[in-house]
Amino acid sequence: MSKKGTSSFIIQRATAVMLAPIAVWFLFGIVGALTADYAGARAWLAEPLNGALIGAFFIAGAWHMRIGMEEIIVDYIHSWLKDVLLFLNWLAALGVIAGAAWSLYTIFFAG
Amino acid sequence: MADGATSGRPLSPHLQIWRFTVTMAASITHRGAGMALYGGLLLMTLWVVGLALHPPLFDAVSTIIHSPVGFVIIAGFVWSLLFHLMNGLRHLYWDSGRGLAPKTATMTAWLVYIAATILTAVILWAGYGGGA
Repeated sequence: MSKKGTSSFIIQRATAVMLAPIAVWFLFGIVGALTADYAGARAWLAEPLNGALIGAFFIAGAWHMRIGMEEIIVDYIHSWLKDVLLFLNWLAALGVIAGAAWSLYTIFFAG
Repeated sequence: MADGATSGRPLSPHLQIWRFTVTMAASITHRGAGMALYGGLLLMTLWVVGLALHPPLFDAVSTIIHSPVGFVIIAGFVWSLLFHLMNGLRHLYWDSGRGLAPKTATMTAWLVYIAATILTAVILWAGYGGGA
């Protein structure tokens, strides 16, 4: 995190503030949505409010988890493995954002 | 490196001298829960991608969700989210320079553990149709 400490610190808190209220909303519907069948889950996600909040949750969550995991990696890994893990960490975060964006686009605009 | 064993002066940091505190546990748990949520968000991405783009993937994820292992995963995810959420609020409160007194920090750490556990039970009970 060289030279990026301050911006990471700020982004981690900004995404935390965004995620907190969405997480509260999410916790109300999570078990029902995750245990629903295909049609039920798709109908749940196709509700505009649910889709928008899930999208925000995935994007802010992906960035929050990337910074958090980066902090853990640089704390404990000091070998060549560090760069590999940091790269995979970026890949995972971008994968979450791309997967969620592509899915929600399909459901709302191309379904 | 200073040789404390032969010089007779104390070594620092004292890696062998510590005692268990709930604030320490909460700090470790915050990281652990964050790592669990990392895995959870990856699994949820598979769930959403399957839902929107590839039903066989959804069926595969759904099969896991409805197995006993899936119950443990969901319970762990819900508890981790609740803990990380409430302990995160604790962190934001600390960032404002408040709540840092040992007595207060100890009390809020206990509070987060207890509330996360009770709320997890309530959410699972309601989510699996306990109230219906």
